Amino acid sequence: MTVPDVLGGPAAANLGAPLARANPVAKLAVAVAVSAALVLTVDVVTAGVALALEAVALPWCGLGPWALLRRGWIVIVGAVPAGITTAMWAVDSGAVLAGLGPMTVTEGSLLAGAAITLRVLAIGLPGVVLLATTDPTDLADALAQNLRLPHRFVLAALAAMRLFGVLAEEWRALTMARRARGVGDGGLGGRLRTLAGQVFALLVLAVRRATVLATAMEARGFGVAARRTWARPSRFGPADAVVALGGVALAALATAAGIAAGTWNLVLT
Amino acid sequence: MSFTNDSTSRDGTLGGGRDSGGAGSGPGGDGNAPALPPRTLSLVAAVAALAGVVVYAVGLPESIGLFGSPLSDLTLPAALLVFFVTTVVASVMVTRAPWRVVDIVVASVLGVAGGLVFAVWNAFAWEPISGALAFFPPASAILVGVWLLPGVLGGLVIRKPGAAVYTELVAATLSALIGNQWGFATVWYGLLEGLGAEVVFALLLYRAFGWPTALLAGAGAGVTVGVLDSLLYYPTFSAGYKLAYVGLAVVSGVVIAGLGSWALTRAMARSGALAPLPSGRVTERV
Amino acid sequence: MIAVRARGWGWRYAARRAWAVRGLDLDLEPGQRVLLLGASGAGKSTVLAGLAGLLDPGTGPDGSGRGSVDGTGEEEGALLLDGVPVRRARADGVREGHARTGLLLQDPLTQTILARCGDDVAFGLENHAVDREEIWRRVEVALRWVRFPYGVDHPTSRLSGGERQRLALAGVLALRPGLLLLDEPTAMLDPDGAALLRERVGEILDSTGATCVLVEHRVGQWLPVVDRVVVLEPGGGAVADGSPREVFAGHGTRLAEAGIWVPGVPFRPDRRADDDRRADVGRPDVGRPEAGSRAEPDRPADVGSDPENGPLLAARALAASPEPWVRRSRRSRREAESVRPAVRDVSLDLSPGTVLCVVGPNGAGKSTLALALAGLVAPVAGEVRAEPGLAVVDGHDAGPHPRRWRPRELVRRIGTVFQDPQHQFVATTVADELAVGPRRLGLDPAEVTARVDDLLERLGLAHLARANPFTLSGGEQRRLSVATALATRPRVLVLDEPTFGQDARTWAELVRLLLGTVRSGVAVVVVTHDEPLVEELVAHGGATVLRLRDGRPVPGAGAPGDPRPPHGDAAPSATPRRPDRAAAAGQPVDGSRIPAGEAR
Repeated sequence: MTVPDVLGGPAAANLGAPLARANPVAKLAVAVAVSAALVLTVDVVTAGVALALEAVALPWCGLGPWALLRRGWIVIVGAVPAGITTAMWAVDSGAVLAGLGPMTVTEGSLLAGAAITLRVLAIGLPGVVLLATTDPTDLADALAQNLRLPHRFVLAALAAMRLFGVLAEEWRALTMARRARGVGDGGLGGRLRTLAGQVFALLVLAVRRATVLATAMEARGFGVAARRTWARPSRFGPADAVVALGGVALAALATAAGIAAGTWNLVLT
Repeated sequence: MSFTNDSTSRDGTLGGGRDSGGAGSGPGGDGNAPALPPRTLSLVAAVAALAGVVVYAVGLPESIGLFGSPLSDLTLPAALLVFFVTTVVASVMVTRAPWRVVDIVVASVLGVAGGLVFAVWNAFAWEPISGALAFFPPASAILVGVWLLPGVLGGLVIRKPGAAVYTELVAATLSALIGNQWGFATVWYGLLEGLGAEVVFALLLYRAFGWPTALLAGAGAGVTVGVLDSLLYYPTFSAGYKLAYVGLAVVSGVVIAGLGSWALTRAMARSGALAPLPSGRVTERV
Repeated sequence: MIAVRARGWGWRYAARRAWAVRGLDLDLEPGQRVLLLGASGAGKSTVLAGLAGLLDPGTGPDGSGRGSVDGTGEEEGALLLDGVPVRRARADGVREGHARTGLLLQDPLTQTILARCGDDVAFGLENHAVDREEIWRRVEVALRWVRFPYGVDHPTSRLSGGERQRLALAGVLALRPGLLLLDEPTAMLDPDGAALLRERVGEILDSTGATCVLVEHRVGQWLPVVDRVVVLEPGGGAVADGSPREVFAGHGTRLAEAGIWVPGVPFRPDRRADDDRRADVGRPDVGRPEAGSRAEPDRPADVGSDPENGPLLAARALAASPEPWVRRSRRSRREAESVRPAVRDVSLDLSPGTVLCVVGPNGAGKSTLALALAGLVAPVAGEVRAEPGLAVVDGHDAGPHPRRWRPRELVRRIGTVFQDPQHQFVATTVADELAVGPRRLGLDPAEVTARVDDLLERLGLAHLARANPFTLSGGEQRRLSVATALATRPRVLVLDEPTFGQDARTWAELVRLLLGTVRSGVAVVVVTHDEPLVEELVAHGGATVLRLRDGRPVPGAGAPGDPRPPHGDAAPSATPRRPDRAAAAGQPVDGSRIPAGEAR
């Protein structure tokens, strides 16, 4: 996973798919609604229903299984161990299924573990789809034009991301330069120190570039408090509203199912 | 270029001001607040603390249930949130230091850098290290400082109201966009963690940026993430575990985020990279 | 078509004691094209930033502007565009949708703001609240003006430096500024890219009649474009002003001494009066045991002077690519693997005391070749082979493959100087920076200190020993980066564009340094676009020239211009050495097997 890959936006996705085509703010709304609903509860039913509904919507997202896996592997990598840890360490309840010293897996903790895993997956999936189908530039346009976030901050964040795409090459140069300087061997400690130094060097280069970039942006009239126009309009139409509402509905349905099943529990307690 | 504040500012949500292009937009000189008496500081702190205490003392009504849980269970987090938000809002209002373009761009770059560090950390370091710490579940809290770094760093480097929140938010949002274990919950976390650090800068009215401030800001962010995690992600922990978790999160925030970002800021300032920013002018004139 | 007036104008950056510019009085008529000259540190860029309205004195906590929190410095005097103070002129321009000034900076990478070419050009127009239809119309026109070869949706991440710079120029021109400010716009471009940009700027100035202020080190190439030259002195305002002919006739020598490339004033290191002393400065005596004074435990019997010693490093049918994980394009893996290597079919030998210049247009694979020779990227095919003369140091044989050497082994054998010195810095002070390499070799502290002090002295960096490397000037950083490579006394020195963006003084110092290094028995590889540098190295270092095009050696191509045989007192070489020709023919090369002793 390289930086340009990460920041480069859509890859291997069918961007004509109905959900992929939606305004980024609409897709963001889905991710926000689902995450807000699921973060409040740890229960199998709510998370499971949310994940199932997301799976139903997936065919309209324009992502094949491979693209999904490539983009979303980290979610799976995070979900499974989190569940296992919970299963082993959660407050015990129900019949003991297995035990080793203080670690016990009970019916209750197993259920909690499953809930954690499902929750991580259900929260993660909309984000994966959003990233895989959205160009950062379009996201910024939508944030500034449709969501009316302060455009100076949105555009600066976008420019900063673009800057880091360039810095991938700098990272390579830094890596080679350190080898050429004779540093980087000498065991794990030496390597880690070298890595830390290299990260710092990249940060310094990035900040230097940032100050010049700020000058370049100001030289083109950025930052003066005045009306601004947008070369690329970002439109939030009825279809986008439907997508956003669909996300809210999904979150509500999942929560309702959890409450109906009696498994819903507010975690803030 | 003079910096002025006026009510028509469209970008005022974070900085409370804008940089206007010159003398045409009104008399300069009101952009930077004059030196504030310590009284103002105590006033802000007192008001914020009072608001928090009031919320805590009155308590949220037990009679109202939220999906079966009494709302009163949320009293402590709510009081904390009220305290944080009140402090920041009050301090931003009296400080009124507007953001320049270079502030915004550097903060953004720090945020993006933080997001990339998060991405690498989440993908390759967090799972194995926290797995290795599984012998004592709350021990994983000693790692949370990494996630708090951008906020404290942004606050120290930019020295503007909202810098900690903005930097941490950018880092968290990018981390969520790249994809991580926690999806969009990361964005909420970023906002609140940033607020945890911001409250310290705000309490000091954006006037002190030495190592004590850095450590305190790290502690502030550590408290936030400790409470959040033990509520949201480890609801199954026993009370003792939760307390240990918060304590270790604070330690981690102080050491990794506080001390770490203070050292980073100093090193960057010495490299001359921060020259256009007040934090870069630590050395004497040369 | 804006008139400029400066009256006693000055600017001092915060945290600086000295004024960057002070007492500047200047009047520019509308449509004038002015070249701003001066030594580094004379405040040329400050004047441009000031004219662009970007210098901001802030107001300071006490409203006096002194020690201000937000401002980046302190201002005095007046700077006016058409009678209006610059900062107000800028703000008015933005509000009226018509920019007064357009500023083009040096570094192409930091001027690209957005991810798509069209958006990048449109950025300024959006800030000036130009209507959408008009924006795209002007974007098209601006891209056509600069002869931009791609469409509006082309990703900026795939542009070359020259293309980026033209894109930035388009972004500036789309605003139709009446005053064009150019801050060394071609300093970081290859000759072709620079020529194209210069040509575009000239045409655009002709057609728009805009006023222009230009800052540039390499004066000669811009002379057809400008009609007036103003010379600045550090903190002293304008000290000379007039037509190019007048200024160069009256101040040519002084300008040349200040590091400016003055047309007609030869700037050859060997022709300077103080050459002998300077050449010595530039000769750190790498690889030669010094008479008695210092022990050289890491140095076996003088390798360089042993006539039996063959090549140090050899390439055979070498093909190499940049490390795969940084491939820019997001092609599928299979497609990426089938892409041909950046450089291929290269065979050459490097012998002690010889210079190889690698030249060719952008994208020809020059840097990749240098990195492969330096043991920093692995060959895709063929091999880079270290001969015993290089691989064995102190009886320790590191093996024939430099790519597999450990960093510690590599730094003792091959030194590499990167294009951007900042990439190489790993320490917080200049002295520490120089000590890093020797310490890695395990030398005892006394020897490390001796080497560091020696290099500091020789390279004129002694007064900066405690400074942070990042805070040095460009020329100082370059000297330091070469010095760090020399500190471990490697037997091969590889330099990537060592003269890039350097002023004439640093350039001459580098030439002296390189020639001195060669004479001390080191094999030197120089990747460069800089034709005068190649000429110097051919004339005085007996350099051979390897010209690459599209990743392969060009048959029969020698030094730029006349492929004369190497000559000059510095390198009394007997046989013409043309590994490039032999390499092109695909044969093993043996031409550069010059006894190093003879090269003394």
